[in-house]
Amino acid sequence: MKSIAFGQYYPADSILHRLDPRIKVILTVLYIVCSFLCKNIISFALLLASALLLIAAGKIPLKVILRGLRPVLIILIFTAFLNIFWTKGETLLFGWRFIKIYAEGLYAAAFILVRIATLIIGTGMLLTYTTTPIALTDALEDLLSPLKKLHVPVHSFAMMMTIALRFIPTLTEETDKIMTAQKARGADFSEGSLVKRAKALIPILIPLVVSAFNRAEDLAIAMECRCYHGGEGRTRMTVRRLRFVDFIPLALVLLLGASLILLNILGFGYTMR
Amino acid sequence: MSELKLENLSYFHGKGTPYEIKALDGIDLVIPRGMITGLIGHTGSGKSTLVQMFNGLLRPDEGRVLLDGVDIWEKPKTIRQVRFRVGLVMQYPEYQLFEETVAKDIAFGPRNMGLGEEEIRVRVEEAAAFAGLDRALLDKSPFDLSGGQKRRAAIAGIIAMRPEVLVLDEPAAGLDPRGRDEIFANIVRYQESTGSTVVIVSHSMEDMARYCDNLVVMNGGKVVMQGDRDYIFSRSERLSEIGLDIPQVTRLMLRLKEMGVETDGGIYTVEQAVEKMLKLYGR
Amino acid sequence: MKEPFVETRELSYRYESADAAEPRVLRDLSVTIGKGEFVAVLGHNGSGKSTFAKLLNMILTPTGGKVFVMGKDITDENMTDEEVLALRKRMGMVFQNPDNQLVATIVEDDVAFGPENLGVPSKEIRRRVDEALSELGMSDYATHEPHRLSGGQKQRVAIAGILAMLPDCIIFDESTAMLDPVGRKEVMDAVVRLNREKGITVIMITHYMEEAALADRIIVLNDGRVLLDGSPEAVFEEEALLRSCGLAVPQCTELVHRLREAGIPLDGACVFPEQCAELIMKSLNKER
Repeated sequence: MKSIAFGQYYPADSILHRLDPRIKVILTVLYIVCSFLCKNIISFALLLASALLLIAAGKIPLKVILRGLRPVLIILIFTAFLNIFWTKGETLLFGWRFIKIYAEGLYAAAFILVRIATLIIGTGMLLTYTTTPIALTDALEDLLSPLKKLHVPVHSFAMMMTIALRFIPTLTEETDKIMTAQKARGADFSEGSLVKRAKALIPILIPLVVSAFNRAEDLAIAMECRCYHGGEGRTRMTVRRLRFVDFIPLALVLLLGASLILLNILGFGYTMR
Repeated sequence: MSELKLENLSYFHGKGTPYEIKALDGIDLVIPRGMITGLIGHTGSGKSTLVQMFNGLLRPDEGRVLLDGVDIWEKPKTIRQVRFRVGLVMQYPEYQLFEETVAKDIAFGPRNMGLGEEEIRVRVEEAAAFAGLDRALLDKSPFDLSGGQKRRAAIAGIIAMRPEVLVLDEPAAGLDPRGRDEIFANIVRYQESTGSTVVIVSHSMEDMARYCDNLVVMNGGKVVMQGDRDYIFSRSERLSEIGLDIPQVTRLMLRLKEMGVETDGGIYTVEQAVEKMLKLYGR
Repeated sequence: MKEPFVETRELSYRYESADAAEPRVLRDLSVTIGKGEFVAVLGHNGSGKSTFAKLLNMILTPTGGKVFVMGKDITDENMTDEEVLALRKRMGMVFQNPDNQLVATIVEDDVAFGPENLGVPSKEIRRRVDEALSELGMSDYATHEPHRLSGGQKQRVAIAGILAMLPDCIIFDESTAMLDPVGRKEVMDAVVRLNREKGITVIMITHYMEEAALADRIIVLNDGRVLLDGSPEAVFEEEALLRSCGLAVPQCTELVHRLREAGIPLDGACVFPEQCAELIMKSLNKER
């Protein structure tokens, strides 16, 4: 938690790191749509290729990506398992008593695996690994700003996000300190029943909440002294201007989407229903 | 009245990661029983890490911590017992307060020790008195106290465990001069009446010079000097070199020495300086 | 006297409390602080010094009396939002806890926060941020995360954040109380420079004598009233009075007082060791 401040941002100098965060948010949405457009073997192959291309473009080590996939491994295996044994088709490959495995089942399992994996890789490469949380917050504020007309407090939400990101490491450190202080008074967090252990958290939670409130009060005063008065009339130091190169990836993803639709119309091999 | 001894102790922050830093480096140290020892060093010198070794909050990577000759990590399962014997008041300890009343909060440590209600009551009152906390405050919420009172309540919470060794990390940080003097006076009174071993960590050399019999100077994770006050301050030029804030009168004496006056840096209180100057003036 | 910057007239403050016996934190305080002055406000905890600072910046509203900034009555209830912002822009404030005043996750974004709120054009913000960071010696840390900095560095970022609003005056509300000696020195060096070189009026709330000694003028508050007001040399002469309200004098000043009591002729006041050494040398040479 201390070495990686928050999120999974992986600092590097790559095309994806430099890409405008607003474009990245749009690309992520489009990419998710694309993954759901895939229906046959060639489109899934294309999807997989695009995911590999993204990894290369973001200069993120494969090890990091695989580590990111680890938490969903169980889900991946489970859904693959379900698809293999429960999909009924026409080409029976293997049959023993009630266990019947069809070719369609294998296809379905493979497709689902590719879809989930590329979804995770895609959003990871486009957003979490290559975009700092603060750039992401700014991008969302920009993209959602039309909602301000509908009186949605977009700026306030973005400000809240920023402050949360700023204080997560501070509060983590504070939790550590409080735990150490209570341990020095003989508090025991590792032994006893669940109820006992939950009770042992009270000496940590109360001081933490009290301190968080104090900090919030201090911060509110400090912000007021620095002339904060909401989003109105506010300017920004870094104004991101879209450059021509920012549109190239957008065009590429649109092209990918168009080819996927075309492939669906033509139809190749096993097609998912 | 116990003696703490560290033998060839080393500790790494982030052991096994690429960010590994040697925080403590081959420390050999004896904290003598029954007196106040001052631990001096600037931020990052390792002093706050070191005090967490004293009561087993951190486990050394190399070397041993001996409490009355017994390695505190001999039976890791009973390390909690060591924390009752070596009481540690952390920096800005007021953030540890959490109970409904000050009395209950002071009782937290003794209760963890498994003591009986009557014993706890006696200890809470005793500890509050030692820490200079008014009895009337015991039934108040700790969150309604002033900054200085909170600090004392937190210190009382450790004293109530009746530790054989009391360690205080920057007990007066952030307090005004009167608050500082009161906290230190209470610590001295506590030491004198119980005869316990006390360790004070601070970067204020003026306070250390005033209250500690024995001094330990740390720099870069190592103990660079240890000895009694006079010995340590006789080497005040060295203290200044490692970036410590030496007392103003000591600075004055060093300056006078540079100007050719027959004096030295071994003077650290106004009384000593007055005496020395009167001698120089021949009175 | 220089042109007045802040002026308080019979300023009073009482915390709202059901307890009518609750004493007033500030009682009829009338002080004038000149433009470009460096004033230290000394006092023990509870002397009202922090309340005083908060009244000057309209964080608190006085229960009696008035505050004028550049001749404008800031206690006027009819002040418009624009006027309030304009005032806060002129009077920056740096607080005690370095962690609780930084807003952004990147140093330079934090420094930009004030000017952004003021609607300064982007290019101008960039220029001010770079200048403020270099002024405080923090340029190398522009893209660092604040929570990884030392206390002294965090406070310097906070000062840069105020400086980027181009203030006339900065109030430091015990801004060094939580720092170690190294951090304190970093901050004090910056404060002195801002005052001497940039002509910024400094109001420094503190209980460290050695910091107050750096000011042009010291105001000592006790029980919500002005106890002493004058140059550091003059104020530290009143050793007994300072002690009676829980304050101490620097060791060197005390030494000179004690020597004088012992009949050694030492002329002039002294606050710093260098000054004191000169003084003693002069008198020693005379004796011989």
